[in-house]
Amino acid sequence: MNILWGQKHFKMNLQELNQNYNCFNIIEELKEKEEGKLSGYQISVKDCICVKGMESTAGSAILKGYKPLFHATAVQKVLDEGCKIIGKTSQDEFGFGSFSMNVGIGYKQPLNPVDKQRVTGGSSGGSGCAVKLIEDKHVSLGESTGGSIVCPAAYCGIVGLCPTYGRVSRYGLLDYGNSLDKIGPMARTVEDCAKVLKIIAGYDPKDSTSLNEPVDDYESFLKKGVKGLKIGLVKESLDVDEEVKAEFMKTIESLKEKGAIVEQVSLPLTFKYGIEVYYIIALSEVSTNLSKYCGIRYGAEEKPEGSFNEYFAKVRSKNFGEEAKRRIMLGTFARMSGFRDAYYIKAAKVRTLIIQEYKKLFEHYDVLVTPTMPNVAPKTEDVKKLTPLQNYMMDVLTVGPNLAGLPHISVPIGDDLPVGFLVIGDHLQEGKIIQVADEV
Amino acid sequence: MKLDKQLVKEIAKVARLELTEEEIDKIEKDMDEVLNTFSKIQEVGTKDVKMSIQPVKLGNALREDEPKECLTQKEALSQVENKKDEYFVGPKAL
Amino acid sequence: MKFESDVVIGMEVHVQLNTKTKLFCSCPTQGSEEPNSRCCPVCLGMPGSKPVLNKQALNYAIKLALSLGCEISPELIFSRKSYFYPDLAKNYQISQYEIPLGIKGKISIEGKDIGITRVHMEEDPAALVHPEGMAKSNYVLIDYNRSGNPLCEVVTEPDLTSPGQAREFMKNLISVLNYLKIFDIDTCIIKADANISIKEKDYTRVEIKNITGFKEIERALNYEIERQKREDVVLETRAWDAEAGITISMRKKETEEEYGYIIDPDLTVTTITDEMVEKIKVDMPELAREKALRFVESHKIRKEDAFVIAQQRELANLFEIAVKKVPAKLAVAWVRHELNRVLNYNKKSLEQVKLDEKEFIKLLELIDKKEVTENVAKKILEKLIEKTFDVEKYIDENKLRAVSNSDELEEICKKAIENSEKAVQDYKSGNEKALQFIVGQVMRETRGAASPQVVIEIIKKII
Repeated sequence: MNILWGQKHFKMNLQELNQNYNCFNIIEELKEKEEGKLSGYQISVKDCICVKGMESTAGSAILKGYKPLFHATAVQKVLDEGCKIIGKTSQDEFGFGSFSMNVGIGYKQPLNPVDKQRVTGGSSGGSGCAVKLIEDKHVSLGESTGGSIVCPAAYCGIVGLCPTYGRVSRYGLLDYGNSLDKIGPMARTVEDCAKVLKIIAGYDPKDSTSLNEPVDDYESFLKKGVKGLKIGLVKESLDVDEEVKAEFMKTIESLKEKGAIVEQVSLPLTFKYGIEVYYIIALSEVSTNLSKYCGIRYGAEEKPEGSFNEYFAKVRSKNFGEEAKRRIMLGTFARMSGFRDAYYIKAAKVRTLIIQEYKKLFEHYDVLVTPTMPNVAPKTEDVKKLTPLQNYMMDVLTVGPNLAGLPHISVPIGDDLPVGFLVIGDHLQEGKIIQVADEV
Repeated sequence: MKLDKQLVKEIAKVARLELTEEEIDKIEKDMDEVLNTFSKIQEVGTKDVKMSIQPVKLGNALREDEPKECLTQKEALSQVENKKDEYFVGPKAL
Repeated sequence: MKFESDVVIGMEVHVQLNTKTKLFCSCPTQGSEEPNSRCCPVCLGMPGSKPVLNKQALNYAIKLALSLGCEISPELIFSRKSYFYPDLAKNYQISQYEIPLGIKGKISIEGKDIGITRVHMEEDPAALVHPEGMAKSNYVLIDYNRSGNPLCEVVTEPDLTSPGQAREFMKNLISVLNYLKIFDIDTCIIKADANISIKEKDYTRVEIKNITGFKEIERALNYEIERQKREDVVLETRAWDAEAGITISMRKKETEEEYGYIIDPDLTVTTITDEMVEKIKVDMPELAREKALRFVESHKIRKEDAFVIAQQRELANLFEIAVKKVPAKLAVAWVRHELNRVLNYNKKSLEQVKLDEKEFIKLLELIDKKEVTENVAKKILEKLIEKTFDVEKYIDENKLRAVSNSDELEEICKKAIENSEKAVQDYKSGNEKALQFIVGQVMRETRGAASPQVVIEIIKKII
């Protein structure tokens, strides 16, 4: 396998690579067909996406040993096009993090390929890392709930595309926030992302929230240029670290030179309340999704002693990590009677207003742009000092499009440490964001 | 809003999580900090605003009433050790 | 709520709908009874699986709500009801909370209307087997065949005031379900929870769970009323143990169970348009009440008879055919009374028996034409319930045709009188009963084919 390691090219096998970077939870090969549009491609799959017969744990000890009896629809689709699956990439437990540091009990944190002292970003950290390192034709299927595709893409210096909610089937995705989760491609080029998206997108009757809309020919949007396109630069997103802002503005200038019309726009509601609304909804949903993990039908189990409440509490407390427990507690609280109106229901209503805020802008602009993250990949030791709330606040630039279910793509800019340039489109406008991303 | 230890213990009970005293103390602090920020969404005017269940417009998703092949007993029970005579074994119900 | 009666009962009935597949997956609802042989990742709650709503279940649920006179909600919204129990595949049940499918309905039982608060849809949990009885087992065995079955929950207002009424309510509800053909009493399950309180104990409410079938309802509630009179009553949930014939405390209900409802984000809001409802209405059988009133109007039968016949679809069908061939009065007598008598005796329902319509009608015609006596006809009907046969042929083969030929009958009577000297003497000396002896002789001779009244007249004439 061809690896780019510390800016030098090596031939190395995956096991050796993984020993250094922890980007895979499982290294295992699977191929079902020889011929197809992805013949010759390797695909790694984020651990929370089911591959039949391959251990899929969403990075959690509570699902150790779970080997799904079915492929996720997205996985079946890429296998049908002749690719080879090479393994499951590491992640924050159940997607609970922006740095891939909240790995489950017994799992290892993936390390940033550009600088091992730094984090990969999360929660699709393993995917971000693997894509940066593996030079051979390789794309990773990542997953995003609040920014988990584009954040590691930004920190690792690769391309990450998160499609419209419902564009890619969620069947076979281990749920975090059912109304927020999306599967999307992560790759070294915009072209590869477009290619894989075309294959995994489409209506799936097994997923009730799947969009029944025709799939565009995304590759036809490459090399179209940006002349005449109206781009909205979200002014609230400029409140970021200097090095990020500098790179971001350089890219803006370059797009202007290529003929794009750039104007400043504002998303006041989204930036003031987006994080709170996102977390309340995501945690309310996930605290119910995680209830099924109780040691009975799959995953970690104990001897069935004691009453059922004692048994469930034992299995869950032993196998959930600290962040998972915290999020379950917050989510349970947000939907308890007495608090439900003020948190869960209120957040869902404010979400409607946030979506409306974006939709209004898209009446006048083709795409919106922001930096992907407010900083470059931080050092692991610095992240350890953050409180949970400070962790959550890092998602300030990505929760908006995720809450609104809008397609968005992060493209790497910057020479030194990677910076992400985020392009956001209206629902089902993956083509347009690919078009702009290709010019970055 | 002020979270108290009693409420934290109750939430843990509802969520079937067994927390040590230290864990309860830490979680109480963390949750308090987070919820203080979360509660600011109360300021937003939402009169006559409907909840968003999903962020995109989705129509009726209905399935025809036609039986499809299901898992074999072996497959259904393949993911656990706690089983007996083709049943799943669970902790007692009372 | 202000109560006045001695006993106050409200019911929550869970009815399994007679669809081919489960509520949110395509596993068959009927078939193998081997444990865990009709499951899939969805009804096993396997990570990554997603629910998809069964169209037919929705149709059936709307039919039920309509026939209970409910207002139908324009939007169908499912919620996750979270609680932990070994029989829940996901430790939440997909149910309806905020806005149920139907509200503000009613159902009639003899003499009064019972309010239906709501009708809503939800999925069934799995089945638990307690290897050594519920109280003693250290573990449970779980069978997910039932997990995900489509249920309709019907909740009444606390309008019932006796266990007998509760049983009547269940019976009538089952009748409606059969009528609509959305419930199969042989294969589908019906379970009830009852909330019961008595005046003596200040209407402190106890919930009784786990009552299966309407026969158990009266037993369970009668027991509970007696128990409440004897013991202290607290707000709690108790389980009915049918074998032991007692209720057992399950959990104290100082506070409501914390269900932490959220709207299920894996399902979309289903729009129920007026067109959809109209289409279902057209497809529905004429509702029992309308049919009954039509019977009264067209056939001038008694209202009470009409309502009983109309309640059961098969019975109503039979009646409508019969009334074309024989007078309404006869049809009522035999469809409502005689047929039901024989069915009840055999503890069977009309659907189970598969009565041959043609032969039954023929029998009625013969009765009408007085070609067979009522006694003989009753016996023939009893046989017809068990197996179909050619009624005319049977009558001829067994010489059961009513002897209405007076000469023939007179001959037999004369003979009988000759053989009964003593009886004749007794009768002549004033013992009316002695006549019966002679009548008995005649009946034996004619194998019951003669009409007793006619025989008596002839004998009296001769004597």
